[in-house]
Amino acid sequence: MEAEFLLRSSCGCTKGIEKNLLFDSELRALCVFVVKFSRLSAIGYLLFSLALVLGAPVLLADDQVAVTVQRPWMRAVPDVMDTTAVYMVLVNTSSTPAELVGGSTSIADSVAPMITTKQGEGTKQTLGMQSVDSLKIPAHGTLILEPDGNHLMVMGLKEHPKEGTQVDFTIKLEPGNHEIHFKIPVSRRPLK
Amino acid sequence: MSSVTQKSTLVSSAPPKRPFFDWRVWTVAGVLLVAVVLSIFLGLKQHAQQGFFGMRLFPLKAAYDFKLTGPNGAEVRLDQFRGKTVLFLFGFTHCANVCPTSLTNLADVYQALTPEERKQVQVVFISVDPDRDKPQTLAQYVTSFDPSFVGLTAPKPTMDQTVLSYGASYEMVAGPTNEPNDYSVNHSAYTYLVNPSGKLELLYGNEKLAEVQRMVSDIRAVLHEPRS
Repeated sequence: MEAEFLLRSSCGCTKGIEKNLLFDSELRALCVFVVKFSRLSAIGYLLFSLALVLGAPVLLADDQVAVTVQRPWMRAVPDVMDTTAVYMVLVNTSSTPAELVGGSTSIADSVAPMITTKQGEGTKQTLGMQSVDSLKIPAHGTLILEPDGNHLMVMGLKEHPKEGTQVDFTIKLEPGNHEIHFKIPVSRRPLK
Repeated sequence: MSSVTQKSTLVSSAPPKRPFFDWRVWTVAGVLLVAVVLSIFLGLKQHAQQGFFGMRLFPLKAAYDFKLTGPNGAEVRLDQFRGKTVLFLFGFTHCANVCPTSLTNLADVYQALTPEERKQVQVVFISVDPDRDKPQTLAQYVTSFDPSFVGLTAPKPTMDQTVLSYGASYEMVAGPTNEPNDYSVNHSAYTYLVNPSGKLELLYGNEKLAEVQRMVSDIRAVLHEPRS
């Protein structure tokens, strides 16, 4: 909400212009960036530009949903695997609850939200994963996708994501059937 | 004269009445108190240093000597690793989240050891999915995390016996399509540490494996234990 306010007031973006910008998240991010540049302290600026360098895009939706992607990474997996997982933190800065409903990438057949399930106790406890329709991002809250926890599973790998490279990636959000496109770094370990 | 002297001696040898706030008494008491507190504190610290990060089993019992299939199809038994510290866990290669996380963490732990220590440590990944994880595939999978890692599997009856012996569990879960190969496996995610004497000594829940330094100090402690 705050970012949206800044965008409108400082860039002079009217509702109409914002509509046109809606499908151009790059320009949108740039616009916010310019605003942030002028407003934020040096440390804030450094952190924000670091976030941009890491490829974290910003989405501002016309129905007041604003979700930011932070620290996204795709796990580099052995060549014999035909699946991998994607992790990130989704921050909902709006007062509207949002949902992560899926994603896509050119290197795989499909992407699905998954939860990690636990059954039983002690050594008998089994961990499993279960496909879900969506993962909730509460209003003014975050959704954490992390190793051993919730994640986006990437299935049917057509080419293997190599450590140190970047892969195009899209996540789909509701409400509003929004998509965020970004380059995701490939790593064996969580990015610091 | 002498009697007077004796009398005065008697008087002076009687305990003098000390004031309540005699500084000497309080100094001694204070020093004693500091010493007691310090020794308790140091004792606790030493106790904490000796404690293990993993869940320690007591009394230690011989680990079940599993007999599984190795990378080239030959039988591999746990007892073949006697003299080494073995860390093993159950999983399957189609596991996209938990297994790669655990194996990456174990690779970090292994690499944090000295080259000399590494010679005495073996990480073993046991696939509970023998239908899809052929020995060759499994070998490629585990060695991509660390070239020293060994992947083992076995036909279902042998696997079930192994899993049961370690109080573990697994279950196949059908996937969204009806394809026979579309299934996931819910499985125990504990890592078992078998000491160089072949005794099952420590257990780690999967979330503990990320604590590389604490894992390393446990392994070092086990490597330096007197052999029974």
